[in-house]
Amino acid sequence: MATRTVIVGGGAAGIGAAGAFKGAMPAGEVVVFTEFEDAAYSPCGIPYVHGKEIPSFEALFLASKEQYADQGIDIRYETAVTELDLAARKVRVEGRPDEAFDRLIIATGFDYADPGVPGTDLEGLYYIKNIRRAMEWDKVLDSVKSAVVVEATPLGLEMVTALAHRGIETHVVDHRPWALSDLADPDIAQPVQDAWDAAGVKMHFGVRLEAFLGEGKLRAVQTAAGTIPADLAVICTKKVPNNALARAAGLAIGPTGGIIVDNRMATSAAGVFAAGDCTEIPLGVTDVGVQGLTGSHAYSQGKVAGINAGGGDRTYQPVYIPWGVMTGNLMVGGVSFGETTAKALGIPYVMGVAEGISRARYFPGVMKVKVKLLAEPGTLRLIGAQMIGGEGIKERADFLAMAVKTGITLKDLAFMENVYSPPIGALNEPIAVAAQNALNNLGKP
Amino acid sequence: MAEVRSRLGAASGFPPWLRTNAEHYLLVDAQQRVAASYGCDAPMPPKRAKDHFFLSVFVPVYRALPWRLRLAVLQRMPGSHRRTWQRRARTPLGPAV
Repeated sequence: MATRTVIVGGGAAGIGAAGAFKGAMPAGEVVVFTEFEDAAYSPCGIPYVHGKEIPSFEALFLASKEQYADQGIDIRYETAVTELDLAARKVRVEGRPDEAFDRLIIATGFDYADPGVPGTDLEGLYYIKNIRRAMEWDKVLDSVKSAVVVEATPLGLEMVTALAHRGIETHVVDHRPWALSDLADPDIAQPVQDAWDAAGVKMHFGVRLEAFLGEGKLRAVQTAAGTIPADLAVICTKKVPNNALARAAGLAIGPTGGIIVDNRMATSAAGVFAAGDCTEIPLGVTDVGVQGLTGSHAYSQGKVAGINAGGGDRTYQPVYIPWGVMTGNLMVGGVSFGETTAKALGIPYVMGVAEGISRARYFPGVMKVKVKLLAEPGTLRLIGAQMIGGEGIKERADFLAMAVKTGITLKDLAFMENVYSPPIGALNEPIAVAAQNALNNLGKP
Repeated sequence: MAEVRSRLGAASGFPPWLRTNAEHYLLVDAQQRVAASYGCDAPMPPKRAKDHFFLSVFVPVYRALPWRLRLAVLQRMPGSHRRTWQRRARTPLGPAV
């Protein structure tokens, strides 16, 4: 029997769910609500347009509004859902009649954590999310002389690089001690900071943000170490789940603030699914919930939710979180745990580090690649990795995530096979050398 | 931002409070130790009473517990991991053909 599915949210999870639902149940009806003027664009590409590496915002759209309509996906743009009435199987829509559903998929995404200081209502604070606002901000950037990026998160890294590349005096303010410090180890972050230093970026690490100053419009950013004159502040704080609707509807929420789901992306209410940044998912290494993953996670989860809402039977799996970010000519990445995050949780580990190269040493364009591997003592199963280099980091992170997932050990990796071809791979794979170094270090103090 | 805050709603209850603070202060403690080993800048020193409590009481108690016990406590917290998830078998299955 065909069903009517309502999806709240038009980002990667929501659009992934809509397409998958139509694939599973072509005769079914699907309605997507989004507060924005558009759906299904890549917000992750916005910093690269600001940095002039991508010529236009148009390239970030996945499909046109007509293409979605042709696929039978009814997207209601600029329409806010104000309440989920799970008992009546309806959603309340601002200024419009209620919409009934047989299945509901919540894909409300994230918001930026409140910086928690005075002045957040000033004009001149930029939260990157809506592509239309990004287009407007892009014009503003032409006249910005000094900008402050608040927190060196992955998005912060991209924005610092983009603004500096654009010739804007760029400051980064973070109360943490180094770039990406919730994610990466200091030796992995150091080359990024060196590159920023060379590009003239002014770094204020270990400095508490105190206020945004101005009269209606941002004039300066006040920190514990002084005042920074600024025309613009880009807020790149941690992503927190946007879950007010789910919470008000009585859905079970986990300690991360994400909606509790099972491997079918089903929530605590029958016929209600959730996907993307509004959920929490178990981390495979520890079997403890985590929240705030990537766009590719959101899209995959949306597809699983959509297929199941359409009568199919698909399961999602615990995550191992391969991640990567590009800043200038450097790629930083990793999988699950690094040294800092493993120490934070108190996970015992053995470690191996290697510095290698991305191509044959004589081939033009060869770049350094540093790899750190962490493994469980005794079994030597991989539990995480961190990397930095000029190229090939993403592919290594994807591979190592599967290695962690499948229980690959340092002994397996130490003499792994690798592609050797001068333009694309060196004789010695840095992953293998890092594993060999870890094995050589076993038993040493 | 006020609009954003109102839509977020506040995470309520003991588990979210404990998770948020535990995550933050355990990370600060780890950053301090890692920074010392690499000779780089350490996190900001504690300032508020809450900073002192977590760094002087919670973190040392947490670190004194054996890892398996800590993990068991973490896994007993509510969350998605308590629902049905397929844990992948880590044992090799032999040749594919």
